[in-house]
Amino acid sequence: MAKLTIPAEEWMYRGHAACPGCGPALAMRLLLKGLGPRTVMSIPACCWTVIGTPYPTTALGIALLDNPIESTGASIAGLRAALDALRIEDVRVVGFAGDGGTADIGLQALSGMLERRTDAIFVMYDNEGYMNTGVQRSSATPQGAWTTTTPVEGPRRGKREAKKEIMSIVLAHHPAYAATVNPAFPEDFVRKAEKARDARGPRFLHALTPCPPGWKFSSEETIELGRLATETGLFPLYEVEDGVYRITRRLGTLKPVDEYVRLQGRFRHWEPEDVRELSEEVRRGWERLLRLERETAPAVFPKPPVAIAAA
Amino acid sequence: MIEIRFHGRGGQGAVVASELLAQAAFLDGREPQCFPFFGVERRGAPVTAYARIDDRPVGVRTSIVNPDVVVVLDPGLLATTPVCDGLKDGGLLLVNSPRPVERLAAPDSVRRAAVDATAIAVAHGLGSRTMPIVNTTVLGALARASGAVSLEALGRAIDRFVPSHPEANRAAASDGFASVRCVDAGVPSSAPPTAWAPTAPLVLPDGPIATVPSRSIRTAAWRTLTPSIDLARCTRCNFCWKYCPDDAVELDARGYPVIALDSCKGCGICAQVCPPKTIAMVATEETAP
Amino acid sequence: MTREVLSGNYAQAYAVRLARARVISAYPITPQTTIVEKLSEFVASGELDARFVEVESEHSALQVVVSAAGLGARTYTATSSQGLLLMHELLHWASGMRAPIVMGVVNRAVAPPWNIGADHTDTIAQRDTGWLQFYPESNQEVLDTVLEAYRLAESPEVRLPAMVNEDAFYLSHTYEPVDVPTPEIVDRFLPPRESHAVLRPGVAARLGSFTGPDHYVEFRHELARATEAVGKRLPEVEEEYRRFTGRSHGGAFPTYRAEGADAVLVTMGTTSTTARTVVDEMRAEGLKVGLAKLRMFRPFPDDAVRELAGSVDRLGVVDRSYTFGPAGAAATEVRAAIYPTPHHPLVAGFLAGVGGRDVTPAHVRRMFEELLGNPGEATRWEDLLPAEVGAHG
Repeated sequence: MAKLTIPAEEWMYRGHAACPGCGPALAMRLLLKGLGPRTVMSIPACCWTVIGTPYPTTALGIALLDNPIESTGASIAGLRAALDALRIEDVRVVGFAGDGGTADIGLQALSGMLERRTDAIFVMYDNEGYMNTGVQRSSATPQGAWTTTTPVEGPRRGKREAKKEIMSIVLAHHPAYAATVNPAFPEDFVRKAEKARDARGPRFLHALTPCPPGWKFSSEETIELGRLATETGLFPLYEVEDGVYRITRRLGTLKPVDEYVRLQGRFRHWEPEDVRELSEEVRRGWERLLRLERETAPAVFPKPPVAIAAA
Repeated sequence: MIEIRFHGRGGQGAVVASELLAQAAFLDGREPQCFPFFGVERRGAPVTAYARIDDRPVGVRTSIVNPDVVVVLDPGLLATTPVCDGLKDGGLLLVNSPRPVERLAAPDSVRRAAVDATAIAVAHGLGSRTMPIVNTTVLGALARASGAVSLEALGRAIDRFVPSHPEANRAAASDGFASVRCVDAGVPSSAPPTAWAPTAPLVLPDGPIATVPSRSIRTAAWRTLTPSIDLARCTRCNFCWKYCPDDAVELDARGYPVIALDSCKGCGICAQVCPPKTIAMVATEETAP
Repeated sequence: MTREVLSGNYAQAYAVRLARARVISAYPITPQTTIVEKLSEFVASGELDARFVEVESEHSALQVVVSAAGLGARTYTATSSQGLLLMHELLHWASGMRAPIVMGVVNRAVAPPWNIGADHTDTIAQRDTGWLQFYPESNQEVLDTVLEAYRLAESPEVRLPAMVNEDAFYLSHTYEPVDVPTPEIVDRFLPPRESHAVLRPGVAARLGSFTGPDHYVEFRHELARATEAVGKRLPEVEEEYRRFTGRSHGGAFPTYRAEGADAVLVTMGTTSTTARTVVDEMRAEGLKVGLAKLRMFRPFPDDAVRELAGSVDRLGVVDRSYTFGPAGAAATEVRAAIYPTPHHPLVAGFLAGVGGRDVTPAHVRRMFEELLGNPGEATRWEDLLPAEVGAHG
């Protein structure tokens, strides 16, 4: 028998109310495997409000507090302050918010928490839209994607604008640790959750979590879509520690984005030209990441003395 | 006034069915009312919708507790959801099922009707095998079995309000109308009694904090297909366990997977990620002919 | 006990230090700032063992203390006017999560136009959020009420958040002598928070939750029961406080020379002090007038109001806020409270001191005179500028 590559303990209970094939459910399961039970979590209004099952039940084996959609950053700051004030040690504080509760309405409180160097982890589970309310556009919805508020009708061909770059915004705050995670790569996901668990100061995880009803794909394809997102270079896996970038899943040639696009009904209206544009954009993003990794790499050898270099 | 309650799964079209029925009844010159029960609107989760049809404006705005008609869009719900709760004696139960109507697991104090709406819908290209769009077929059957609405008005409502494939939907409704089979109340059911186990009543915690683990909630009712593992070919790689979003796969002492059937929602991820492809998604007993 | 000359805002901060709040969070807004500046000093110097979270908005300030209270910490925040309005959503979270937060609110007018003067519109607009509301009239009462508010809010049968409100500038920036009890005395009156129904790290539980119609009604009913419990608990808390400090502020609806009065004025906050002086003057002139103070607006002291109404024929209710209803908020509540009683006094409504306009002894005297004359029940705007200079074009 193959040995387990991720911890056996489960801190997310079965019986939860996620849709079949739910990316955010798997993300929660993997996250808590990495963080363990000494975790206090705050979740805003999002899919997980409902997934977490109604009173008097709960789907998580940890202490969980609900907060309104825009204030997750402040909520985890309050939890951290209380733990510190009450001298309760060895507890991780985590906010687990959707892309709307992070990059749209939650951005102010997130920025505040990062700027204050709050000792807590903020996880954005990115299903690229307001899925709990029935698939409306968010700033994290990709360009050209259909949603109920960015219809494909007449001259409209889905969302007009580009996806907001949350990692760039977060990194401008110089967090202690930031990483992208993808439930299709459980070992990488759990390792980064553990790293976030053991770091101090503000940490951020950006999880891409495919949504079968929102992206319009069949529930068994969640993992395949996740793998394609990373292997096409669309959602590269990397981490940033003290400003140093490190790609955690190296890619040789990028897989064609076409495969990723074709699996999803929200891109059904796309023309070959749209795919070409996306390929180009993905390539530029990947090259930029490679450059950032090179430029921020700690020097392996001390710089040679100026005189020798000049000679 | 006739009161109709629809039971389906999220994504199956139960709510749209109630709306189409209301539109059709209006075209028949009657006074309809319809509304969904807004609960956990999850794909695959049991959902309820209501419709009332009368000759004068409907004067109540409450959920329907004692329906004249119960419509079940998914036969799997018969085993997991108390769909017949409150159904009036002599009322009508209409089920989308490939089974002979006499073999429906249903009380024989009511009229029963069955239509193989899944087969009809698939034949007309409506939805997929795992998630067929059966609502128009079922409405055709309902028109015949209940007389609540005319097939002609239903066809016109489909033309006006179904945005995609109205012709196929209209044809499916006609097929449903033609092929529904009924038995009267009193005719005994030959199905073995269903032993559906309701979720145990919950003991409320003392105070506003929720402390009951969700493990006590059965989500098996969401499933239309069930993973079946060919253990002889299983390599014990544990991918099925690792990728399950529902924590519904356990590993036994030797590392072989065991599906927690009370919880599995049948998403099919385990079958998809299994490297040697030893997992097949098979129809549940109720959906099998 | 020491006697010090303190502003209302400092009285609030001193009380929070004595209460040993463990988590404080606030966002600056005039005229609340000196409360949190003083508390920042106390935390920085180590005089107060607390975490002070300097947030980026009032909304976040209240969220910080709501979440901290969810883990069992004693918490404090303070705000005013626009800041309180921004907090509105979180006010419901605080009561719904049964978080016994104490918040200082400096009552300030609501924009537009911008105005930082005293006005109760900000807190009156929050009357339906499940918070207890106190309207003290002196800096001494501010300090005492903060301590009583913690004791009351943390009582197991209550577990509701409380606002201790100060009229902008008339209290917040007014210095006057205040008796400050010793930490030893306050520690005996107010022991560390006993944590009922809070989250504990390592224990699976969810605070907040979601629920359908099947349980939501019961959540609201529990809030109603908790609110009702305040009426019984407040006199007990006041009696305990009196035993430790010798001071009491007369419950939720204290009266002054109201026995046998022909007319009684009902006031909130600092207007009460001025009105009390006018009562003494007019009584000396042989006019039978009295005073009743709405020390608490939530829960509304219905029983006490009914008791007073049973023995008086004319009540004048002074609101320091304009609300878009049939009458001032307090006047409306007074009328509602006495409706079920057999004896209905005339209830006249006065709007006075809106937006920081002074309520002088002369104004109060005029209100009494109107009340003793033939007032009718229509709401009167006190001290409006003459139309030719005051009205907009």
